[in-house]
Formats: sequence, structure tokens, C-alpha cells
Amino acid sequence: MIRRLFAPMTWPITIRAPLMVAALMVFVGVLLSRELLVRLASAQEDHLKALSAAYLDGVSSAVLPHAIREDVWEVFDALNRASSRYESVNALTTVVVNSGNRVVAASDPKRFRTGELLALWDAKFSASGRDFVIDARMARANAVRTLSVQGQKIGRIYTELDIAQLLQERRTLLWQLILTNTGLTLGLAAIGYVAMLWIVRPVQILGDHLERAVDGQIRPIEEAALGHLDSQFGQLFRRYNAVAVAANEREALRARLAEEEKLASIGRLASGMAHEINNPLGGMFNALDALKRYGDRETVRATSTRLLETGLRGIRHVVRATLMNYRGTSQMSDLEASDLEDLRFLIQSAVRQKALDLNWDNQIKRPLKTQVSAVRQSALNLLLNACAVAPHNTTVGFRAEEIDACLEVTVRDQGPGLGAEYKRYIETGREPLAVIGEGKGLGLWMVRKLMVEVGGSVKVETSAMEGTSIRLNFPIANQDAIHAG
Amino acid sequence: MTGSKVNRRNLLRIGGSVALCSSAYGFAAISAPRTLKFGLTPVFLASDLDLLASLKEYLQVSTGEPVELVTRRTYQEITALLISGWLDAAWICGYPYVAHQQELILLAVPVWRERPLYQSYVISNADRAVTDFEQLGGDIHAFSDPDSNSGYLVTSSLLAETSRRPEDFFDRTFFTYSHRNVVHAVAAGLAGSGSVDGYVWEVMLETEPSLTTQTKIIRKSEWLGFPPIATARDHRNSAAAAKLRSAFLDLSATPAGSKVLSLLRLDRFEPAEPGLYASIAAKAEQLRRLG
Repeated sequence: MIRRLFAPMTWPITIRAPLMVAALMVFVGVLLSRELLVRLASAQEDHLKALSAAYLDGVSSAVLPHAIREDVWEVFDALNRASSRYESVNALTTVVVNSGNRVVAASDPKRFRTGELLALWDAKFSASGRDFVIDARMARANAVRTLSVQGQKIGRIYTELDIAQLLQERRTLLWQLILTNTGLTLGLAAIGYVAMLWIVRPVQILGDHLERAVDGQIRPIEEAALGHLDSQFGQLFRRYNAVAVAANEREALRARLAEEEKLASIGRLASGMAHEINNPLGGMFNALDALKRYGDRETVRATSTRLLETGLRGIRHVVRATLMNYRGTSQMSDLEASDLEDLRFLIQSAVRQKALDLNWDNQIKRPLKTQVSAVRQSALNLLLNACAVAPHNTTVGFRAEEIDACLEVTVRDQGPGLGAEYKRYIETGREPLAVIGEGKGLGLWMVRKLMVEVGGSVKVETSAMEGTSIRLNFPIANQDAIHAG
Repeated sequence: MTGSKVNRRNLLRIGGSVALCSSAYGFAAISAPRTLKFGLTPVFLASDLDLLASLKEYLQVSTGEPVELVTRRTYQEITALLISGWLDAAWICGYPYVAHQQELILLAVPVWRERPLYQSYVISNADRAVTDFEQLGGDIHAFSDPDSNSGYLVTSSLLAETSRRPEDFFDRTFFTYSHRNVVHAVAAGLAGSGSVDGYVWEVMLETEPSLTTQTKIIRKSEWLGFPPIATARDHRNSAAAAKLRSAFLDLSATPAGSKVLSLLRLDRFEPAEPGLYASIAAKAEQLRRLG
């Protein structure tokens, strides 16, 4: 989850698209705002320059006759009158100096004492080579004007302007731009989010249905959500529904085939059973006939009785194994070693037909709480499959043991190996169901179905050289819970 | 500083001659009706248009003649016009009066707070830690006018007592040609200290407290003769001078005159004697001796 946060490509498109719109808006907003602020600053500077020039023109005319005589009061009075006349200039201080750069009078005489040498601003103008300098950090602008009469320089006028208001205007504009752009960006992102939700809603519907289809339930899209026939998604939804109907029909067909296969399997089992029962029956009738004839003989009676008992015990094994296998309960019960032992009787006909060597290794040491019927049916299916694919005179292996709170059942054969698609199907169930069909692999389909029901897992190792080993893992219920129960 | 007193006197004489010539041409060019010309120095609250209008209206009603109020930037200009006879009378400072006592006749003197006297103040900016006149050495000092008693002579003669001149005691001096401007210059910090008419400062304490509260009084002089109304000695028997004298002496008798007195914060006008200005004459003499 956290890793997804740092991987934008994994974010939903409903988030990514609005974010991209927002990022684009921020980019454009920053560019436009910067351009606007630069232009505003330039316009303000031009305006300020013109204003200060007009102010200095007016002050120059007023102070010039007095500056010639260095009349302190008159220069001061002229500056005072100018400050009230040019209020809009926001002149903080204006200083008139003589040709020796000594103060004649200043509008702020406490700061600039008459007679003192003024070096404060001279350096600033000399460094810039201009007669108008802006110091944005201090919110000040300085301007200078030379006073001359008949080409003779008699002094200069320095002025310091307060530009805090202009800077405040810039800041206000900057904040207005930020707030406006933020509002627009958030608004467009929200609209984008809603629009994307609306646009991708059909994709989500399709995605949800496909997600369910992976689990085996292919459900058509409801009529109300199909949309207009001419729309792209309307057509897509209808094609999906057609595919869903076809797939469901195929699934139903496969279930029917499985049922037929099951019946066929039962038939084969019944045939095997009949065979298994029929074998001792001949001996048993012979024994019965001997009893009828020579029943008075002690030795004949004992021999015939033993033969009858052996024959009947064999029949009982076969009948009991069949009953166990098909009693059809899915309830949890104790699985004991003997519950798997009698499976041998159900496959002994197939084993005998191919002269197979059955390597039987039952390691179950104690009762295990599990779905016994599912274990037996799964194991029997795999054993019958193994016998079916195993070449004559080869070995079929069976091993059952308890490992890490699981019942592990492994069936091996030395057949030609299992196809990759069958392997994927039985292990994950993800392989298209089309791989199972036409009577092939229905045993695997049943095993997969049973494993899903009990929540078990399957692992297949297969190769053309060494045959196939299928390992089933069945969960075992908590033993403490069993004992407590 | 703008030169020595001798130079000022010379200039005053030249100015007077120029003004006399101008007035002669002026009389030749302009005939009747006769207009009374009354000169005003910035000793009092110049630029107060309401006051000037009220005074003019009162004088016209009281004298029954058209009256022209003549104002100039400096004392020197008004004094020159008065001595030349171009003005029928003028309200001048005590210093020009004692300087030209031979050419001038006193008509009346204002009474302020029941006395025809006032003081000269030396003031400094209220923020400064100075308390004594001697601490003002090295200041930029604002004087009112080189012909003003309270705005120049008193401080200069004080320094002359110890053989010092303003340009030696102060770092720099300048003239504002108005007592109000002196207060303004000191309040703003343009000058560290200033010499100002005590009457003007006290009146400004009422009318412009925002300025005066930025200053403080460092030294008050002794009581001196209030700036008088004078006329040229040649006009001592003229009807114009007599009418103007009566008008000023009767100011408190009419509502219009009372309004003028109220605006000026004065009690009344009364006849004046030259002896009232003896102390000013002594200061002028002291300054003259220093050279």
C-alpha cells in the first residue's frame, strides 16, 4: 500500500488525470504570474521614475534661487511646502546640498544636519551610474537632480521615496494570483476528478465483472448499466455479455461432462467391484459345493469355511471402501490412516491390469481433523489418473503425511508428464477453462474444485523424463479446538 | 551671519534712499484720493490674513480713509519705507526705532498683559537635554531678522557682554525673517536653538501648540519695550499720522478694534515715551562697541 503511494503509475487514473491537470495549471500559473509581476514592477518603476522627476522639477524650481544664496530657512521652507504639495510622491526625505556636497537644508533636518557632508547616497548613485535607484529590501527609492545656473553647478537635490505601498501592491497582487491560481487549480482538479470518475465508470464496471470472472463467476452486466447501443462502452458491454453467456454455457457443459464422467467412473468402479467380488465368488461357490458334498468331513468343512471367510472379507473391503468414498459428506471428521488404506482396493483392478508397482507410503500417525471425503476423492482421482497415464510395469507412488499442520498427499507416476496449461490450471485455477474439455482432464477439474472448497493448495512437479508428482495440501483444523469441542 | 551692523546700517540708508526716490516717483505718478499707508513688520503674526483684513477694515472705518497695509519680508525694507516718508506709519521693532530715533516719532505702543513690555526668548528643541544658554555653543542657531530686537539684538548683545560674536559662539546661524519661522525651525530640528520674540512664542502657545510644545525656553531676557508704532519725524504733524495714532489708541473702544486686539492677544494701545526703549538702546550700543 505504502509502496503504491510512491509509484504514481499505479495510482488510479481518476487521481492521475486531475493531478496532471493541476500540475499543468500550476506550471502555467507560475509562468503567467511571474510575467505579470515583472511587468508590474517595470510599470511601477517607470511610473515612480516619472513621478520623482516631476517632484524634483518642482522642488528644483522652488529651491534654486535660495540654494544659490544657501539660504537655510528658505530652502527648508520650500522643501516643506513641496512635501505637502507632492504628497502622492511619498517623499520621506529631500536634501539640498551645495556644490561641496554639504547639506544646505533637508526636509528631515534632524537626520541631515545643515552643514554636514552628505556621503550617504552619493556612493549609491556612483555605484549604479544612474540618477534613480530602487532598494526593494528597504522599500526605498532614491533620486538625485543636479542644480545648476547658467551651466554652473551649485548643488544637488537628493530625495528618498517610500515605495512600501508599491511593494505592498506587488505582494497583494502576488497573493491574489496565488489564491486565484490555487482556487482555479483545485477547482479544475475537482472537476477533472469528477469527470474522470464519470468517464472511467464503465471501465470500472467492466473491471469488476472481469475480476469476478477470474474467480469462476462470469456474470453479465445488468441491463440498466449497458448504456446506449451506439456508445463505445455500450457496444463493449454487449460484447462482454455475449462472451459471458458463451463462457457460462461452456461451464455448464463442462459440469455436465464432469457428471457423465463421474457416472462413467462409477460404472468403471462398479465393474471393478463386480470383478473384485466375482473373483472370490467362484472359490466361495466351490467351497459351498464341497460343504454340501463333504460337509461331514472335518477337514473339508474347515477348509471350505476358511475359503468362504476369506472371500467374504475381500468383498466387505471393497464394499466398505466404496461406501466411504461416496457417502458425499463435506463435514469435518477425523481422518485416520485406515481411511486412506482402503483406497488401495479401489485401484487394485487398474494396478493389476497394467502390472503396476504400487509404492504405498501412509505416514499418518494420528487422527487429523479435515474433510475426509474431499481428501479421499482427491486422492482417488489422482491415483486413478496416475494409473491411467502410467506405462505398463512402472511405479505409481502414494504418500500421505502430516507436515506443518497440514495433511500432505503426494501421488506420483512415471507417465509422459502433465501439460503446462493443466499444471497452471490445477495449481492456480487461472488457466482458461478451455484447456479442460472433451473428456480430458476432468479428474484434475474435480481435484481443483475440491481443493478450492477445502481451502487447500496444489503443487505440481512434472517432466517428460521423470513423470509427474502432484502434492495436495489440506488444512487441518486446530487440534486444541477439536479437543475442546 | 550676514555681515556687521555697520554694514546693515549702510544698507539701510541706501535702501531708504532708494525707497525715497521710488516714493517720490510714486507720488508724482499717483494723485488723489489719498490712501493711508501703514507698514507692518513680521514682528507680529504675519501671514495671518484674517488679522490683516480685520485691521485694515478697522483702520479704514476709524480713520475714514482708504488704508493700504504694506508688508515686506524684512524689517529693513519697512524701516526704509517709513523713514523715507513713503509710509504714513508703521509697526516696527524697538531695535530699528532706537537705531533711527532721530528720524522717527513714537505714536503708540501695545500693552500686553497690562504692560507695554515683552521679553526675548532663547529656545531649543524640546528633545534636547540643554538647560543653560552656554550649552547652546556650537549650535545651528536661528535668528529672526538682523534688525529684530528680540530675534537678534538681545542674543547678540548677551554674547557681546563677554566679547563674543554669534558666529563665534554658534557653529552656524541663519535668519528666518519671521519669529514664527524661528519656532518652526527649532521645532523641526533645522536649528538647534533660536532667538524669538517672547510675545510671539506665548501667543503661538495658544494658537499653534503643536509647534511650541516641540520647543522649550532656555533663557528669558529682561522686560523690554514692546515694538512700537512710529512715524517719520517729518510726518509728526501730518493728519494721516494723527488719524492712525487715534485709531490705535481707540482700538479697545469699538467691537472691530476689540476683535483686532483679541486676534493679537493684546490689551490695548497707549501713548509711548522714548525712554521705554532705553534698555534696547543700551544693547545696541554694546553691540556697536564690539564692532
